[in-house]
Amino acid sequence: MQEKGYSRRDFLRFCAFAASIAGIEASGLNTVVAAFEHTPRPPVLWLHFQECTCCSESFIRSSHPVVADIVFDVLSLDYTETLQAASGHQAEKCLHDTMKTYAGKYIVLVEGSVPLANDGVYCCIGGRTAKDILLDVTQDAAAVIAWGSCASFGCVQNAKPNPTGATPVHQILNKPVINVPGCPPIADVMTGVVTHLLVYGRTPELDSRGRPKAFYARRVHDTCYRRPYYDAGMFVESWDDDKARKGYCLYKMGCRGPVTYNACAVTKWNGGVSYPIQSGHGCIGCSEDKFWDNGPFYQHLASFPGFGIESTADTIGKVVGVATAVGITAHAITTNIRKKSLIDEHREESVEGGEI
Amino acid sequence: MAKRIVVDPVTRIEGHLRIEAVVENGRITEAYSAGTMVRGLEKILIGRDPRDAWAFTQRVCGVCTTVHALASVRTVEDALGITVPKNAELVRNIMYCTLMVQDHVIHFYHLHALDWVDVVSVLSADPVETSKIARSISKWPKTSPAYFKAVQDRIKTFVESGQLGIFANGYWGHPQYKLPPEVNLIGVAHYLEALEWQKEIVKIHAVFGGKNPHPNYLVGGVPCSFNMDEVNAINAERLNLVGRLITEAIQFVEHVYIPDLLAVAGFYKDWASIGGGVSNYLSYGDLPTRSYNDIDSFKFPRGAILNRNLNEVHEVNARDTEEIKEYIAHSWYRYTGGDGTGLHPWNGETQLNYTGPTPPYDYLNVDEKYSFLKTPRWKGHAMEVGPLARLLVAYAQGHEEVKEVVGEALARLDVGPEALFSTLGRTAARGLEARLAVHWLKGFYDELVGNIKAGETRTFTPDKWDPDTWPQTAEGVGMTEAPRGALAHWIKIKDKKIDNYQLVVPTTWNGSPKDPKGQRSAYEEALIGTPVADQNIPLEIIRTIHSFDPCLACAVH
Amino acid sequence: MADVQTAPSYKRVYVWELPVRFYHWVNALCVFILIITGFLIGNPVSISYSTEAYQQYWFGTVRFLHFVTAFIFFFNFMFRIYWGFVGNRYARWTNFIPHKAAQFKEMWEVLKVDVLQTSLKGEIHVGHNMLAGFIYFISFLVFLFQAITGFALYSSMSSAWLPQQFTWVVALMGGEFAVRQWHHTFMWFFIVFVLIHVYLVAYHDYIEGRGTTSSMVGGWKFVKESRLKGEA
Ligand code: HEM
Ligand code: HEM
Ligand code: NFV
Ligand code: SF4
Ligand code: SF4
Ligand code: F3S
Ligand SMILES: [Mg+2]
Repeated sequence: MQEKGYSRRDFLRFCAFAASIAGIEASGLNTVVAAFEHTPRPPVLWLHFQECTCCSESFIRSSHPVVADIVFDVLSLDYTETLQAASGHQAEKCLHDTMKTYAGKYIVLVEGSVPLANDGVYCCIGGRTAKDILLDVTQDAAAVIAWGSCASFGCVQNAKPNPTGATPVHQILNKPVINVPGCPPIADVMTGVVTHLLVYGRTPELDSRGRPKAFYARRVHDTCYRRPYYDAGMFVESWDDDKARKGYCLYKMGCRGPVTYNACAVTKWNGGVSYPIQSGHGCIGCSEDKFWDNGPFYQHLASFPGFGIESTADTIGKVVGVATAVGITAHAITTNIRKKSLIDEHREESVEGGEI
Repeated sequence: MAKRIVVDPVTRIEGHLRIEAVVENGRITEAYSAGTMVRGLEKILIGRDPRDAWAFTQRVCGVCTTVHALASVRTVEDALGITVPKNAELVRNIMYCTLMVQDHVIHFYHLHALDWVDVVSVLSADPVETSKIARSISKWPKTSPAYFKAVQDRIKTFVESGQLGIFANGYWGHPQYKLPPEVNLIGVAHYLEALEWQKEIVKIHAVFGGKNPHPNYLVGGVPCSFNMDEVNAINAERLNLVGRLITEAIQFVEHVYIPDLLAVAGFYKDWASIGGGVSNYLSYGDLPTRSYNDIDSFKFPRGAILNRNLNEVHEVNARDTEEIKEYIAHSWYRYTGGDGTGLHPWNGETQLNYTGPTPPYDYLNVDEKYSFLKTPRWKGHAMEVGPLARLLVAYAQGHEEVKEVVGEALARLDVGPEALFSTLGRTAARGLEARLAVHWLKGFYDELVGNIKAGETRTFTPDKWDPDTWPQTAEGVGMTEAPRGALAHWIKIKDKKIDNYQLVVPTTWNGSPKDPKGQRSAYEEALIGTPVADQNIPLEIIRTIHSFDPCLACAVH
Repeated sequence: MADVQTAPSYKRVYVWELPVRFYHWVNALCVFILIITGFLIGNPVSISYSTEAYQQYWFGTVRFLHFVTAFIFFFNFMFRIYWGFVGNRYARWTNFIPHKAAQFKEMWEVLKVDVLQTSLKGEIHVGHNMLAGFIYFISFLVFLFQAITGFALYSSMSSAWLPQQFTWVVALMGGEFAVRQWHHTFMWFFIVFVLIHVYLVAYHDYIEGRGTTSSMVGGWKFVKESRLKGEA
């Protein structure tokens, strides 16, 4: 450990971090250290499909632990098209060597969705389809992590009309998949999930959608520092208005924090510097399934499909409400005309007041 | 004897690129560049709110994150006639320069360096000697023998573990690696340092845009507000953080990136005559110092150069439907008007039409359609875009700052300007540009601080936010210079919705397949004549391809 | 006096038992509050205070009212479902879910008489007419939907047992955004329902003149002896 140019103190700090996210107390730290020191670095294969590679970019922004420490000391990143030295068949050999040597012991990280339309021709690597590669590589995997909203939910390419049949990983595989959604996910959440897996050799506790509870159990809204403004009813009403400059709640600007599960407001981004709301823009719900089809992003509910931009349920509701009122009025008028005889009959039946 | 070799996947790039190259007598005589993944974003954008387009197009790429958002908000602002406040322009410029510097550094160290730096040779380096070399080329503080020894030990332990991870099956020991072990050790040490540093500079994006990758943008300005008397807004503390990060970035570029670049380049001067490619260069220009609508105020000027003629810079007009056109003769698309035609992006179409081999396949059918990239042409010419094009256009226009840094670098390397038209020239141009950008970054920051001091804090123009203020139909184009080159988005708006949206992206220009006339685009042309020492090891191919910094998610979208 | 002789004689019928009336008015009040507070949650009025956020809680109060009312609404509704099995003939489910040919015919008749007004005089019903019953049945389904989506949304704000029974809804509908969108949209059903419902109650009172409105207060309706087909 000491020889790696990074001090034992650094390593212990990393272990303490890993342990803290895993929820073990400091007294259990030694076992964690031992677990790392006596195992070879677990092999990891990172697959790239329909993606924008921002999940990889996010991963390398990890601040604790820093990515060099992960890649050199924690795990063995045997395949990732973004960073690996070898190209072409030399790269493919890396993939196949690990699959063979470590069958059942390697971890597969998937970035990007898998296009299923047209027999998968919309994403091919080395002449094979993404689907083919995914099924092949995950066959003997010890665990599968779906990075980002692409691999977890399909993300932007899965938005209507989904021209390539972009499909999330869990819908293709018959094995459990850890979903780490976000577009991209927070760097420290990504490394947090990976280290959790490696410390225990088993998956972190997941919710019904396969997301680690540690980071996806609460809505952004539940931990947002602007929440007091929400409860007070103090809202930004136009970009850069007086209220925006005081940092009021962004609900009326379309903030999706109330319907979005993510750790942004707690873990924050880029080593804790900020998160979307802190920098003035509402949450767009980037870790939620189908968030792209929930637009426009600047109203907290979606436009109604088939109607124009900004025609929300309210626009339509108002129209229906007014139509109802008009209908009632019309009905009342015709009643008085058409049913005049009936009403007159009632009047005739009626007994003069005071007689009884 | 001719042999077609295939490199797929090309790694250390963004996305899915496949190169097929015909090698005859140790040299490449024909090349085919193919993008093998498509998502169909241009189709997905149709019918959506134009104010949302930035978020969709930003997801085109997480590597050059922000440039598509920038092009998109400019496109919509152009269509609707919105001018953003001065501060919003400055914040955009700051975010732009931040990306430019960060992306170029990552490219040099993490995507390109291993083409020139032999990691395994580091084991035989002498740390004392390494320290001496490092101190002779730079004032960077981390240059002690003990420091280099620690790095060397780390690599040694790593290699001895038998698990080579990302370095497995690299081309180590290939005769084309020419650096002495000590310079390789410096390279590896800085590979690690750059990895740590890149996560710092992007904090500037987090301050103004809330996160990186994919910070937030806004049609009409920027979403953050300034309020010096409020903890919930951009205040002195936030600006101080940005200021510190900029200072550190200047240090890193001046004392690590540039010295390393020149040191490495010195050993590979033969690559100054390889990989020249098409001889036409295009730049849309960017970094407005007054307003985006005032092209003369741009730090990067707009223009086109034909046949390497630096004495004439042609005007470029993205609105002229005869200038920029996209072709699909060799692309897996269909045009309503026939596959031989070219379409200006305002009339562009994106109809998928895969006609390639059924996977799994060994070779593409390169005589027909063979890529998901469309083929853009400017007045019928194949153009190279990117840092080199930008520097050349600026250089040819007599741009003082550019002439100075280019001249200085050429002198240090003892080569003439013709060396720029090459694989090495492209890689050098990227570094020089990062150097310019990091100082401009400081300039924009100072200007922003000055504005705030003078009481100017507006960041948003509200009058056209409400769709009810929009005309029934509108069209716009938004241009920028992405790290990889000229980027523009074209929009047509109808009834408050996107009616058509087309992106023509830097890597589309450079990496596209042949046009209907059979003209090669930049990647293919640059490979012609490249020597290939061992047909089983594609090192030379990826050197030239990497010099363009390919981004295929961008190129196809 | 002659008039008195010719006037038909009416009989009192006890139609709405106390539990039904109680349910009805509690429900009416809840729906009223839920519409107003729900509308405000969807479209809040922004108030700019000179004070700090922590000194105010108006939006929180609106939401609190919505949730408290929601619980009352829910249990009241559950009670009504129960009463549909044990209440009197007018309260029972058979009056709500058309299953006999005669009931479908009745719906058509009512439509002709009261809505289209193509025929002028129709049967006067003691309990609900079949069309009204059926519409109440549909609205009961919407009550249920609104309660399910409401509690699904609430499940992220409360670890209490009841809301936690609804977490599956969020997964089923593909995320909280969709749940919210539907919950919001169905508010308009309630608004339209109340408008039409209150109008029709008034209409029947006007046309039939036998105290429909007050029947929901006292429970009694007046039925012409001549028209009573042994219903009472
Ligand atoms: C928020 C407002 C209201 C709601 C949600 C509502 C809902 C309902 C429901 C669900 C029923 C069916 C009752 C059952 O069988 O259990 C009903 C019946 C009835 N409601 Fe309401 N009601 C509202 C307001 C009113 C008002 C303001 C009146 C009159 C003053 C009224 C008078 C009646 C009468 C007379 C019936 C029996 C109607 C029939 O037999 O067709 N309701 N109402
Ligand atoms: C007549 C019945 C109801 C109506 C008309 C109604 C209406 C609404 C509306 C319009 C909203 C705002 C949605 C938006 O724009 O985002 C809302 C929110 C909500 N409603 Fe209801 N609702 C009803 C019943 C319920 C019930 C039975 C519950 C059960 C707990 C419930 C729980 C909620 C919750 C939790 C919210 C979200 C509040 C927040 O996050 O601040 N609602 N409702
Ligand atoms: N090509 C490209 Fe990009 C860039 N730079 C964008 O416009 O990389 Ni992802
Ligand atoms: S989830 Fe979002 S950020 Fe990640 S690859 Fe997909 S589009 Fe990019
Ligand atoms: S800004 Fe968004 S997440 Fe924060 S309190 Fe307001 S609505 Fe909730
Ligand atoms: S947009 Fe995404 S980054 Fe967080 S605040 Fe919202 S989930
Ligand atoms: Mg395009």
